[in-house]
Amino acid sequence: MSKLPPVVIDNGTGYTKMGFAGNTDPQFVIPTVIGLPNKSRYGIASKRGIEDLDFHIGDEATKNSKAYGLDYPIRHGQIENWDHMERYWEQSIFKYMRCEPEDHYFLLTEPPLNAPENREQMAEIFFESFNVQGMYIAVQAVLALAASWTAKNSQQTLTGTVIDSGDGVTHVIPVAEGYVLGSSIKHIPIAGRDITGFVQQLLRDHGETSIPPEDSLEIARRIKEQYSYTSHDMANEFLKFDQDPVKYYQQFDAVNSVNQHTYKVDVGYERFLAPEVFFNPELVSSDFLTPLPDVVDTCIQVSPIDTRRGLYSNIVLSGGSTMFKGFGKRLQRDIKRIVDGRIKKSEDLSGGNLQARPIDVNVIAHKKQRYAVWFGGSIMACTDQFYQFSHSKAEYEEYGPSICRHNRVFDSLA
Amino acid sequence: MILLEPNSYVLEETLLARFNSEKHEVVDITLVDFDNVIYHVQTQAEQRNLLTLGVEMKYFNEVVQYGANEILQREYGPYLSSSASGQYQITLEFNLDSLPEDKAGLAKHVSMLKRNVLASPFVRAFEYWESQQEGAGPLMATHYREDEAIYVQAQQDRVTVIFSTLFREEVDRVLGRVFLQEFVDARRQASIQNAPQVFYSSREAPLEIRHLPGLKQDESVGYVSFVLFPRHFADADVREKTISQIQLFRDYLHYHIKCAKAYMHSRMRTRVTSFLKVINRAKPDRTTATSEKRTATGRYFRPQFRQASASPQLGGESEW
Repeated sequence: MSKLPPVVIDNGTGYTKMGFAGNTDPQFVIPTVIGLPNKSRYGIASKRGIEDLDFHIGDEATKNSKAYGLDYPIRHGQIENWDHMERYWEQSIFKYMRCEPEDHYFLLTEPPLNAPENREQMAEIFFESFNVQGMYIAVQAVLALAASWTAKNSQQTLTGTVIDSGDGVTHVIPVAEGYVLGSSIKHIPIAGRDITGFVQQLLRDHGETSIPPEDSLEIARRIKEQYSYTSHDMANEFLKFDQDPVKYYQQFDAVNSVNQHTYKVDVGYERFLAPEVFFNPELVSSDFLTPLPDVVDTCIQVSPIDTRRGLYSNIVLSGGSTMFKGFGKRLQRDIKRIVDGRIKKSEDLSGGNLQARPIDVNVIAHKKQRYAVWFGGSIMACTDQFYQFSHSKAEYEEYGPSICRHNRVFDSLA
Repeated sequence: MILLEPNSYVLEETLLARFNSEKHEVVDITLVDFDNVIYHVQTQAEQRNLLTLGVEMKYFNEVVQYGANEILQREYGPYLSSSASGQYQITLEFNLDSLPEDKAGLAKHVSMLKRNVLASPFVRAFEYWESQQEGAGPLMATHYREDEAIYVQAQQDRVTVIFSTLFREEVDRVLGRVFLQEFVDARRQASIQNAPQVFYSSREAPLEIRHLPGLKQDESVGYVSFVLFPRHFADADVREKTISQIQLFRDYLHYHIKCAKAYMHSRMRTRVTSFLKVINRAKPDRTTATSEKRTATGRYFRPQFRQASASPQLGGESEW
């Protein structure tokens, strides 16, 4: 009997990506939200019928949000409500993926610094409730590194710095040989949502009165995704736009969602200002002011000294907010500038006696950046080693959920 | 979600996305359906407008005997490709440049493929009943999973459907039994008197199939029999509905066993949190017991009962 492909589920704070291993894109990307009946007349103990099956997940939940109360079971990457999460999985497996979990292996993801207890809970649910054949819980950042192996200039190692920017928050995560350096992780409170808000503000400021207020956020998001690019130099870009507006200004054709009228929106400075938020955070934030290249540099500088070269030479982008055109190049240039500056300074201080070997800075951008974590999982679950690394049902029954505390990928290191 | 959908949602979505895309990208997607059915959606690099859907179905050779090919021809005639390639028992081809107007309808229709193929023994049995022949019709077995099968047999006045299902887990078996017991009880309600009769036996195979060789006879096997009467299949619409629902019975049963476990887990979690609350409440409150409070004049104040119970040397600290 040919083996059925493993199921890869990446439950993120905002969106859940799920699909079968071996595919290049997830089959479903739905919000991680569950809609439960508003009235909880019956407590959980006085259930009489099938009330516990009356719920929706994903887009259907948001569609039915009038009659159903929404709950986000994952907060800040961590699963907070296990009851809801278990039911979320129940429906994602049987309704969306439409597979019998007893026939499949599962690959799930966890955020860096996840508590081992959470991992055990996950194992309990998948082995006890769903009777899966086997499962593997991978760290999201490591999967993002694996996803970058498809890029042309990739070195195919599991050492590197992952810049993961989704909708809510941006993380900079150093990984050495597949091991996450937990103490050096840095967070930036600026991500996709803030950029969309910024574009919305800019559009409002330059008087786009034709945009109806209820569509404004959606229009801003689409303009951000379609027209943005990362500039080399902000001042220069302003000059270019002012000298030749015809060439750089663009028009966005939008449709009013209520009366279906079409209207035009001028897209100007926001084209290059949107991604600039990462490099000049003072544009949107008054309390967080460190540019992304500086954060990446500090993150690597606080990592163990023998990993730093590897971390600089393999900086990997992941998540939708790193998709801006030219984002990787700009980041690479800025980090390179910081690193070279520091080397030059130390050479000067030594009075020219010391010559440092130049440090390689490489930022790797690739096509699968948007769902990099899921894609990495899909690649990983296709390999033969996946079955060796994952925990099987027999092992679970022998030792219990504590098997998930140990990751067999690191066996060779011990 | 109480019932499972008869069509494959993931296949429908995937096909619709391909049908609606302006550019014809090269794709190669593998999807899975219940009971070890694998779908393979792909386009070749040299012929991008040609989308092929290969279906791998272990039990296809069995259902062919019951007329699956005729059903396929009737439902998907224009798309059916004769070039059966290797592991795919069914291959459909779609020319993306000449699709009908109703793309969503087509995607939905194609996503019913597994259901339509598996419907063939049922259709055959219902036809046998219509032909009004004497005696029982042939016993049609479909081994839809390893060690599990559906048996369909037409009689003069009814159609019997028997599922053999395997419970790999002890817990599942117990839950399954309770669940099926509920089925029998629920049928007593007046509102669902018309539902087909259900019998459940574990271990012992029902009489209709007892003569078959190679039946598994141990604790892990359960047999569920449904007796369908003409009211379940005389009318064409009702018949289609009956087929859709009954063939998903096995998945439905296993889905609900899992839901039941999830529900019990949430009960357990609620109970644990409530116990934890009780334990936390019972904890002696250290902070108020030892904190020393001063009176307005600056003297220390100790509650009376503390002094009474405290040993002399402890009481000595007090300034009164």
